[in-house]
Amino acid sequence: MLKVSLPLWWTADAVALLAHGLLLTVLFTLVTTVTSLVVGLIIGSWRLSTNTVLRHIAGIFVEVHRNVPALVLVIFWAFAVPNLFPPDVRKTLFFANPVITRLTAATGLPLIYYVVATIVALTLNTSAYIAEIFRAGVGTIAQEHVDAARTLGASRSGVYWSLLLPQGVRASFPALSARLVHNMKNTSLAALVAVPELFRSTETAMSLSFQAMPFLLLTTGLYLATAVGLSWMLSLVERRLNHRSASTWTTAAATNNA
Amino acid sequence: MLDQLYFVLDILPDLLFGFPGQRPGGLLLTLALAIVANVAGFGVAVLLGLGFYSRHRIVQRAVSLYVFIITGVPLLVLLLLVYQIAGNPRYGFRIGPQGAAVISLVLYSGAYQGAILRTGLASVPVALAESSSVLGSSHWHTFCSVQLRYAIHVMLPAFTGQTISLFKDTSAVIILGVADLMSTARVVLGSDLANQPKWVAVYLTVGAIYSVVALLLSRLARHWERSQRNHSLVHLLARY
Repeated sequence: MLKVSLPLWWTADAVALLAHGLLLTVLFTLVTTVTSLVVGLIIGSWRLSTNTVLRHIAGIFVEVHRNVPALVLVIFWAFAVPNLFPPDVRKTLFFANPVITRLTAATGLPLIYYVVATIVALTLNTSAYIAEIFRAGVGTIAQEHVDAARTLGASRSGVYWSLLLPQGVRASFPALSARLVHNMKNTSLAALVAVPELFRSTETAMSLSFQAMPFLLLTTGLYLATAVGLSWMLSLVERRLNHRSASTWTTAAATNNA
Repeated sequence: MLDQLYFVLDILPDLLFGFPGQRPGGLLLTLALAIVANVAGFGVAVLLGLGFYSRHRIVQRAVSLYVFIITGVPLLVLLLLVYQIAGNPRYGFRIGPQGAAVISLVLYSGAYQGAILRTGLASVPVALAESSSVLGSSHWHTFCSVQLRYAIHVMLPAFTGQTISLFKDTSAVIILGVADLMSTARVVLGSDLANQPKWVAVYLTVGAIYSVVALLLSRLARHWERSQRNHSLVHLLARY
């Protein structure tokens, strides 16, 4: 019978640790992808708005969150913001109240506030980039296209919802997905605020087993696999978007010819 | 409020230049890391650019694999990986955290700049390179003064964007305990529990320093791009 001998560092504990870490990294990625797409598209639309106040708010938001490293944002929201409050208020507000307790019980994660803070920080950072990318994408839409829609009687919101938003997203999709993959890599910054995601669990496994290289190489592979998986998913979305648009086009053309 | 301001003013020299009596740190080190990584990274990128268009399939594959791995892995993992190899006497190296940080940042920015350069090289008109070799330039000369120049010129905005992005990414060297701007702030704040109310003010200052430098860099880049656009012969060619 074939007997496979496993290397010493490959213990059940280490595997469980890394599996939990990977799960958390994937969840982080999915959640921040969705939140930063939503926030980013809203801010990006504000930047195109005719309302001066909204446009300026969006401009400041983008400049602030794009020019500061994601790490500074993560540490600011996780460590600095609670320190604004005196110790007892801080404790009830961020670490020991019914909502936090319930969330901890539901997710099994210690110090849930740091998870929330990381999600907030990454969302702010990535959405600022997405807003700019979306704005550039909308910039590629021909002005004649918008004028034609307005002349044919489309309302301002109609132009936005059925012309600027879908075409802008489609035009900026390659840059958007590159940024979202970057965002996936940025989730590793959560390790610096004690969230046990993949990088943090790798560090833990390394210090428990006194073995560095095998774990680091394994983690490299896992991150690469996550990046490939995410870009594959995004390419599916892109194909879907392009396909949908192409078929609407042809239907519209066919109706026009009939 | 006022004591926060005094505290920030008090530690500002440390944030900008590092702690007195020690090696330079703070913003100075962050800038040094960013500059070295960008310049040396560009050298790596040129090698990668040569590799992408090499005649040997295996070189092309190796170069693509390199870019795929480096751009697919968080900088934190890369830093730790390089430090484990370069700082480990078992492999015959004894490089400290600062050296390991420089090596990883060079590898990192090289991969990103290489990807940009590949796109730029792909956009060089074939006729341009052909006419250069017809006029008697060597292969090497054609690459350096026609293809490379054209590619850099076309991709200038992407290169400057990457430079600024790398400047911000250097903050990850905190994982190796290198005393850059970010870790200086952390050391100052962590040294005393009484500093807790000052965390927000200090990190706002750190964020402000990063964004002021990033804004200055992007202004400078825009200015440079504009001047290039008006004076470059390559641009005249690009317009034809």
